[in-house]
Amino acid sequence: MMRYLYLSTTAAFWLLVAALWAGSVWHPGAAEATGAASARVISAAELATHATPENCWMAIRGSVYDLTDYLPDHPSRPSIIEPWCGKEATNAYNTKTRGRAHTQAADDLLAQYRIGTFAPATP
Amino acid sequence: MRTLRRLAIPVLTLALTAGLVFWAFPDGLSPARTLGVVLGWAGCGLMLASLLLMLREPRLTAWLGGLEWMYQWHHWCGMAAYVLLLAHPLALAGDNLATAPALAWATISPFNEGWPVWSGWLALMALMLGLAATFARRLSYRARRGLHAALGVGVLLGLMHLVLLGIDEPVAPILAVAAALLAWRGIRHDWGVGARPYVVGSVQAMGTDIVEIALTPLADPIDVTPGQFVLVAFSGGPGFRGCGEFHPFTVSAIDGSQVIRVAVKALGDCTRHIQSVRPGVAARVQGAYGSFLAGPLSAPQFWVAGGIGITPFLALLRAGPRMVPTTLCYLYRPEADAPFVQELTELAQADPKLSLHVIATGNQPPELTSWLPAAERLAGRECYLCGPPAMIANLRRVLRRGGVAPREIHFESFELL
Repeated sequence: MMRYLYLSTTAAFWLLVAALWAGSVWHPGAAEATGAASARVISAAELATHATPENCWMAIRGSVYDLTDYLPDHPSRPSIIEPWCGKEATNAYNTKTRGRAHTQAADDLLAQYRIGTFAPATP
Repeated sequence: MRTLRRLAIPVLTLALTAGLVFWAFPDGLSPARTLGVVLGWAGCGLMLASLLLMLREPRLTAWLGGLEWMYQWHHWCGMAAYVLLLAHPLALAGDNLATAPALAWATISPFNEGWPVWSGWLALMALMLGLAATFARRLSYRARRGLHAALGVGVLLGLMHLVLLGIDEPVAPILAVAAALLAWRGIRHDWGVGARPYVVGSVQAMGTDIVEIALTPLADPIDVTPGQFVLVAFSGGPGFRGCGEFHPFTVSAIDGSQVIRVAVKALGDCTRHIQSVRPGVAARVQGAYGSFLAGPLSAPQFWVAGGIGITPFLALLRAGPRMVPTTLCYLYRPEADAPFVQELTELAQADPKLSLHVIATGNQPPELTSWLPAAERLAGRECYLCGPPAMIANLRRVLRRGGVAPREIHFESFELL
């Protein structure tokens, strides 16, 4: 009984993993999502007005992202990401997990939330 | 009281699993992502319960309904945790499947991720390997036991996966508890630090591939009663080098001087090697475990022993005459595999309350209906069964069909990997 359960669930797992991989090859989808970026220019002052978890923008690598809808999905605890709302967060984004950058998958996901180009205040 | 103790493990498992899920239940996520998070934490709770249930401290086993009950739940919890943890990444990936299949794959893909995801994959691979070894009957017992340890590595990697994701609360204390449970099991039980030292006093061949070994305590003896079993590992000694593995053996006699005897049948490489053990060889003993034959003595009893399954009954008969009418049916295959028949016959002749039926079954499965008493003669009797799993399964079915209540059927089997 246990042996059968192990064999059947393990086989089903690998079949579904293979199906996910095949789906990504035949129906990428993500590229379309990442192409919908706005050309709007957003200043540091405007960015700073979106500094709460209920209205959270971040500037990362020269772009501004509205991450309000994404915050609940972020895997780490809220206290890690929420303090960066309304701020330039490139360094934090590039140094998560003891200095490691976010992954390509995270970059792809981030692109879906892009709302404009960041214009930092000139000195 | 026994029923309450058997409820302890289900309640503990439910509390641990539900507690973690309740603590970590996310707000405002999509259904698929919520499901993924819940599956992961439920698997974590079940895996922790499984770790606790692999300990074999005699007092803990008594509280939790016995070692056999603990190991059954250890297996069920471990298997359920494995299934939930397999589903965990699939549910997370499913969150993006409808809108962006590439993103769904990228969520779990090991090729473009970092250690937070790699550690999750490594944990699943370790669990997969450990369970594959457990079910690989062709592997030797030693190889299966060694590879079974991969499951412990999988648990630690799975918890590291959570820490690397930034979820270090409450994972850090859980990781410490899991590591402590694994270390406890490894040091006290597998290495035998918690075992009592004994020495082989005598060895007597009892038939083909069966020896009865007397073990004399070198320090405080274990606390044991007839019907219980112990885990014994034989070490080195004059002309013998043991395999060092702990194997379960039912105690076949408890002498007044606290010497215990165990009957060992050659069923695998190690137990075959033990057939040549000699007096003076050191042994380590853990236990005692089990409550077989510890039921009420108010009702007449019906015992069925198959082959080496005679040992718990023998230990009780050697301890003194029966207080209630008792029928013992002893089934064996070839004559050489029927140890203790002469002694049992003498015990039955000296005990008016004991009725002995020795039944040679040949090499075919026994025809139960030819010797089993009629249903009306079994009414009101406590039935105790010990022998091969197939024999016990058949007997339980026939007895239940004959009207014996399940609570009056007691049996023992060993599945302790």
